[in-house]
Amino acid sequence: MTDQAPDTGELTYTRVFDAPREFVFRCMLEPAHLTHFWGPAGVSTPLETIKVDPRPGGVFETIMVNDSDGSRYPTRAVYVEITEPERIVWTEPGSGVTTTSTFRDLGGTRTELQIRQANAPEGYRSPEARAGFATSLDRFAAYLDKLGGAR
Amino acid sequence: MTVAEDRLDATFTALADPTRRAIVARLASGDATVNELAAPFDMTLPGISKHLKVLERCGLISRTRRAQFRPCHLEGEVLDTALSWIEENRRVWKERFDKLDEHLRDLQGTPSPPRKGTG
Repeated sequence: MTDQAPDTGELTYTRVFDAPREFVFRCMLEPAHLTHFWGPAGVSTPLETIKVDPRPGGVFETIMVNDSDGSRYPTRAVYVEITEPERIVWTEPGSGVTTTSTFRDLGGTRTELQIRQANAPEGYRSPEARAGFATSLDRFAAYLDKLGGAR
Repeated sequence: MTVAEDRLDATFTALADPTRRAIVARLASGDATVNELAAPFDMTLPGISKHLKVLERCGLISRTRRAQFRPCHLEGEVLDTALSWIEENRRVWKERFDKLDEHLRDLQGTPSPPRKGTG
């Protein structure tokens, strides 16, 4: 292994949006926007359950509510970094997941949003674990899915 | 931490190594002996055995006790738990992105294009 930045095996999700960067950045930081998209399909995140204190050490809390049975999933995170309009980092003390949102201006009104999760389970963030990750876990998962059948 | 989280932890730690991931990928296509597993690697048998022990400890693989061959077997359920954690996250972010996309269009007054699979 060389001294290049370690490949930490993070999970990454990227999407290009047709909107200016400042705009997309604000959507990830303001409750009035978050309530529109934070819950995935079938789940809502009511505005009054979203707490955002946008500074390092400030809380980011939500309660996602299952639309069909009303079950509630509280999430609690703490902001680590907020650099407008480029980067938001938060960490979930409960699980150890650190999520980095990076906003890249692609010119025109297009913005790339990349979410990196590094990473859940504690063991997975150990120095050995980080040094060992030559391929990222999500690619590994995709590969195994392709192998399929045998499992 | 719950037992399930501990398990997930151990599983990801075990998968945090390219050799061990290669072993898991090999076992996904069928049981194999230590010798067979060692063949593609420039590594001694004890070296491979160390990796197998890590995989065994978190339950990702098991070894039968019969004879000296003790073929290694991938425990699909344990691997599936780890993979479904990854899948679940992927799904949640994909759906958030979809909804954010819609929200941004609404805000900007752009008509939504016909829904199609993106991601």
